[in-house]
Amino acid sequence: MARLLIAAVAASALACAAVGLARAEDGASAPAHQEWSFQGVFGTYDEAALQRGFQVYHDVCSACHPLKHLAYRDLEAIGYTPAQVKGIAAQYQVTAGPNDQGQMFQRPAQPSDMFVGPFPNDEAARAAENGALPPDLSMVVKAREGGPDYVYGILTGFVKAPAGFKETPGTYYNATFPGHQIKMPPPLTADGQVKYTDGTKATIPQMAHDVATFLSWASEPNLDERHRIGFRVILFLVVAVGVLYAAKRRVWSRLH
Amino acid sequence: MANEITHGDAGVPRRDFLLLAAGALGAVGVVSTIWPFIDSLEPAADTIAAGAPIDVDLAPVKPGQQITVVWRGRPIFILRRTPDELKELQSPSDTTLLRDPNSEVDQQPEYAQNWHRSINPEFLVVVGICTHLGCIPMFEPRGSALMDASWPGGYFCPCHGSKYDLSARVFAGVPAPYNLPVPPYNFTAKDRITIGENPKGSDWDFSSVEQI
Amino acid sequence: MAPPGPGAANGRITRWIDYRLPFVKVMHHELYEYPTPRNLSYWWNFGSLAGAMLVIMIVTGIFLAMYYTPNADLAFDSVERIMRDVNYGWLLRYIHMNGASMFFIVVYIHIFRGLYYGSYKYPRELLWMLGVVILLLMMATAFMGYVLPWGQMSYWGATVITNLFSAIPGVGHDIVTLLWGGYVVGNPTLNRFFSLHYLLPFVIVAVVGLHLIALHTHGSNNPLGIDHKGPGDTIPFHPYYTVKDSFGLAVFLLIYAVIVFYAPNFLGDPQNYIPANPLQTPPDIVPEWYFLPFYAILRSVPNKLFGVILLFSAIGVLFILPWLDTSPVRSAKFRPVYKKIFWLLVIDVLALGWVGAHPPEGIVVTVGRIATFYYFLHFLVLFPLIGKLERPRPLPLSIGAAVLGGGSVPVAERG
Repeated sequence: MARLLIAAVAASALACAAVGLARAEDGASAPAHQEWSFQGVFGTYDEAALQRGFQVYHDVCSACHPLKHLAYRDLEAIGYTPAQVKGIAAQYQVTAGPNDQGQMFQRPAQPSDMFVGPFPNDEAARAAENGALPPDLSMVVKAREGGPDYVYGILTGFVKAPAGFKETPGTYYNATFPGHQIKMPPPLTADGQVKYTDGTKATIPQMAHDVATFLSWASEPNLDERHRIGFRVILFLVVAVGVLYAAKRRVWSRLH
Repeated sequence: MANEITHGDAGVPRRDFLLLAAGALGAVGVVSTIWPFIDSLEPAADTIAAGAPIDVDLAPVKPGQQITVVWRGRPIFILRRTPDELKELQSPSDTTLLRDPNSEVDQQPEYAQNWHRSINPEFLVVVGICTHLGCIPMFEPRGSALMDASWPGGYFCPCHGSKYDLSARVFAGVPAPYNLPVPPYNFTAKDRITIGENPKGSDWDFSSVEQI
Repeated sequence: MAPPGPGAANGRITRWIDYRLPFVKVMHHELYEYPTPRNLSYWWNFGSLAGAMLVIMIVTGIFLAMYYTPNADLAFDSVERIMRDVNYGWLLRYIHMNGASMFFIVVYIHIFRGLYYGSYKYPRELLWMLGVVILLLMMATAFMGYVLPWGQMSYWGATVITNLFSAIPGVGHDIVTLLWGGYVVGNPTLNRFFSLHYLLPFVIVAVVGLHLIALHTHGSNNPLGIDHKGPGDTIPFHPYYTVKDSFGLAVFLLIYAVIVFYAPNFLGDPQNYIPANPLQTPPDIVPEWYFLPFYAILRSVPNKLFGVILLFSAIGVLFILPWLDTSPVRSAKFRPVYKKIFWLLVIDVLALGWVGAHPPEGIVVTVGRIATFYYFLHFLVLFPLIGKLERPRPLPLSIGAAVLGGGSVPVAERG
């Protein structure tokens, strides 16, 4: 038993180390680790940060980046009332139809509609953005090594290029971006760029942290529930392991 | 050859608490694992959101005309009744034909439990699904070529011949047991309704109807 | 002296059924009184764990298939809809997604246990070969399942793996076109992969059935690797191994739950959360971890055809294992030299896994080649050779004697 446990622990440690090694060598400069409320066993999203992050997305990122996998109704999960969500949705127009005359028409978006992106399609996005396609952000935290740290690192990583670094025209130096040449111009440029409704001081690190929190939620909206259920399941299984071990001992004691 | 080593059975009490506890834990585990699987079969969040209330403009509907709109995937009949038709609905020549003339069965919100089964007598709003086995009844006004001369006007279900009057009240002696259900709706303007939303002050639950 | 347990065919209804279809009788015999060596260690838990994984994968898979759309334009979004909108969809998907990894962990340990204790030797050769068939079917199923979310890794993994067949001289190109149903991996490929991904698990169930019939014909091998000769060597499966397997299952589920609830994406590749883009290959394509050793073998040869042959030989060699091993003794416990090279093989496979995870440059290539060479050296040369040259330690007289004391060789530790 003990030997098996040691073997299991050693094997999983080895496997983790192998995966970790594989990861570490991919990006030469792993983004610096930040504190996130949703880390750890009891981690949950901070609702105020989510709402501030949505404000940053709404005021800044949404000019170029879509959020395809979210519907306006999802915003109720981060504390907006149904009426507020209706109001947010109504700022956007969606194509509907055909009507009785067979024509498509524009109508204000409803809470059940998916987020309306800045461009009708990828080609339009490329045409408007100098050939670069601003990626969809609804999965970005799960789709990048480093997750929220990466997003935060990109947003705060626009620094002066080191001496001798040859920049390609049309790119910007970014300390976090692999290869350091990113086609996105710095999106967060000045403190107070977003007027937070809750009065928080909108410094660049604050805005970056908030929007990374919001995008983490957009990637993984069920994290709170997952952590909550997971804790119960694991508690149950710990008890089950204990009881079954005792039961196994009891049954096997008949043999000796 | 198999069971020589069962001598321990005698030494251990038959009702072993540990083994019972282990079995009970297993049962709890299995049952609580089944729940997410069952619940996943319920309508998903986007499906529910797609059932949100819809707005309908009644202005284009002429007296005597019926339109069909779709709410939650179901046909909603909206019929604009003429004064003659409204009079007919209250006369015994019509009401004696019916199974539930006073709408006593819960097939409508309390604000439509009246002889015209609606908020504004002029406009009938019902779910157009026969309460027999779910076919879509056809609107047949008085004098329709498909119906006989005594037909007072109403709905006729082609599947099994169920009949309803112009308030969607079911006739006696047909297979359908109930009147057509009335969905929650409310007038947001003189000729605009929102289907799926009760008028202020009512919290009627559509899922409480006897049958759709 | 079988006790009239709850499963015994003694009720009137069970007698009626058993007279016509001996279901209760067979179940009672195979799951209740089935004589099992009394000295099985915890390494023998992994067979039942693999069975549990198969059930978990099929059940979650059936439910996921109710929401998944096998269409190149809709597949990625339908998976995201499962993750966001379907009630507990995220749970079903994370269980299924990580279940593939857990299944392979369990099966790999199960295989290495068989290697260590000589479970493939006479008279269990067919049992072992059916196991290798299950492994192959699992690999095919896992590969096609990984394609279904239609992310970047799905798409490019499918492209690279199907292209392996293009190495076949003459007809390779035609076979690949046949696999794809188009000019490239596309919607027809996704459709057929979904169909097969749903079918193959049930084929696995059938082969597992044969695997179990073969197992129950001669019974389990055991840590001593000697045959059970008398009643003193065995105990009934129930309650001894049912309770032991249940305990093992609970420990396993605990580890599984930690991954599903707290690190559901740890074993996955972030690239697969980017929708498939047929015009852009991700910077480094890596298969899922459970394919890494095989991927490393493929890449260790600079020749396309030879690499593919080596890849398939790596699994093929397992089929002839029972005839490569020349030792008269099963268990490595009594084989001092084999025990050493067994652990060398474990290290070798882990090294291959490490090589598979890294771009083939510099030291990685060298390690990959040495490890690949050793892999085949182990099975094709050392295996037959050591069996002949090695002097095994003396075997105990019987399982019962070894466990209860008084055997010719006292076995210090119980497995």
